[in-house]
Amino acid sequence: MARRYFRLLSAQLRIAGLASLQYRADFYADGAMSIFWLAVNVAPLLVVYQRRPTLAHWTLPEALLVIGWFTLLKGVLDGAVNPCLTAIVEHIRKGTLDFVLLKPADAQFLVSTAKILPWRGVDVLGGGLVLVFALTRLHRLPTPLQIGASLLLFAAAVGLLYSLWILAISVAFWVVKLDNLAFLFSSIFDAARWPIGVFRGLWRFLFTFVVPLAILTTYPAMALLGTLTFRTGAWALAGAAFFALLARWVWTIALLHYTSASS
Amino acid sequence: MIEVDALVKHYTVHRRPPGLWPALRSVLRRPTETVEAVAGISFSIAPGERVGFLGPNGAGKTTTLKVLSGLLHPTSGRAQVAGMTPWRREPAFLRQITLVMGQKQQLLWDLPPSETFELNRALYEIPRAQYAETLSELTRLLDLGRIAAVPTRQLSLGERMKCELCAALLHRPAVLFLDEPTIGLDVSMQAALRAFVRAYNERFGATVLLTSHYMDDVIALCPRVIVIDHGRLIHDGKLADLVHTLRPEKRVAVRLSRPVDGRDLEGFGRVAERAEDRVVFQIPQAEVKDRVGRLFAQLPVADLTIEDPPLEEIMRDIFAAGRVA
Repeated sequence: MARRYFRLLSAQLRIAGLASLQYRADFYADGAMSIFWLAVNVAPLLVVYQRRPTLAHWTLPEALLVIGWFTLLKGVLDGAVNPCLTAIVEHIRKGTLDFVLLKPADAQFLVSTAKILPWRGVDVLGGGLVLVFALTRLHRLPTPLQIGASLLLFAAAVGLLYSLWILAISVAFWVVKLDNLAFLFSSIFDAARWPIGVFRGLWRFLFTFVVPLAILTTYPAMALLGTLTFRTGAWALAGAAFFALLARWVWTIALLHYTSASS
Repeated sequence: MIEVDALVKHYTVHRRPPGLWPALRSVLRRPTETVEAVAGISFSIAPGERVGFLGPNGAGKTTTLKVLSGLLHPTSGRAQVAGMTPWRREPAFLRQITLVMGQKQQLLWDLPPSETFELNRALYEIPRAQYAETLSELTRLLDLGRIAAVPTRQLSLGERMKCELCAALLHRPAVLFLDEPTIGLDVSMQAALRAFVRAYNERFGATVLLTSHYMDDVIALCPRVIVIDHGRLIHDGKLADLVHTLRPEKRVAVRLSRPVDGRDLEGFGRVAERAEDRVVFQIPQAEVKDRVGRLFAQLPVADLTIEDPPLEEIMRDIFAAGRVA
């Protein structure tokens, strides 16, 4: 089973890659835009730290670690998660989800791997460079355990983001038109560029438990710094697993409500 | 191969009168009503049969096809396709069927159809040798030539439809659900697709359930027709029986060598059409021989043809009258 889905993933990614390379001008233009947005992501941080040495006990290099993970995650989100899941809304509206459901493979897997934007790899690369730069400024080399923990939490963050997207997309089976969903999602996600300690009171509660942005960027950064407790890390992983199961359950229910567009 | 028993499918739809006030009111309270798309139909289709599934727009044809292909869950009733319940969507079931929709396409828009074919090969896990053999056979039957290498967006509608069929049949399904496959195509392309469906059915023994508003499709392909209206089955049998049962009359078209008076045309049958030198009578089948003899004896007949009434006309009459067999 795992081998079959690995083969399917390579077939899907191959097609998605070919489709995005079809328009050369778009490819170069979007690549340039990715570099521009990378600079924009770092700019607010530099402005804030010009006036103060720390922000919520985070120094600039430490906060850069959060930005690094944020940029990396944004690359994955914009390059692989968003394009697929926005395409689902269109599939539901036009009824072309029919063709996905007619295939002898898991529909959630098929729709989640159908579209990628390779130039978003610039974000992933940029995020990695920011992480290396921040660690250099901190004069520290993380232990293999810290690197492993941060990568594990990053994987959980990708899974969590994907699950939140699936939950939101599932609503489209009932309300069909969800044009602004991507914008709403990106706006909320934008808050993940700041360490969670920056937020107070209700916002902190909201971004930790309801829309768990803390798991997305702050916890992987804390893992690299060696300040994340085992207990918090375990809770973060459990939270991501919970959202993944919830998303799968809601998706299954939502499929039962698929009415297909009439022809 | 296909067994349908008391199949029912209801939809809940939102209805509101036009205008601003009803629109505002519907924000608070959405009036809904239940639409009976399929209202308890039953039929069975044997392996290898080609069956036409007819009915006016909104009769429930596409809904039935979508239930039978596993896309929709029925409200009640039972259906088996290739021995399996469609809406469980088991991989073994999905490998046995295909659904081709004339108004929707699975081809990847920006890439050549050959890439969709390759993707379907992976999805259906078709062994390479079988894939190459089927693709070459379908390419020959559909006369695809080199169009599979051209980006889909640059193909004509007819070329796209040919490639759609190829993509849908690469896994050699045993059951074909064809929903208006010839819609929008020119006459020669329609004929080519009909010839292909017949050839595929004969070559692989596949079962075909076809909906089409073009009666030529049905006449050319389907010895048997199932007619539904308002979700209810109103005829299931041979196409010829449908014509004879519902219109037990023949059209006798006569070309006259000189004009005649209207009174001279009385007593031969109902005059369905009349032009200067041409008259079409509708005559009960049992009396055709006798009346044709009289026509030759009493009128200046230059030419005479006897034919069944057009299927379009019969269908139009059925749906206009809303009659139930």
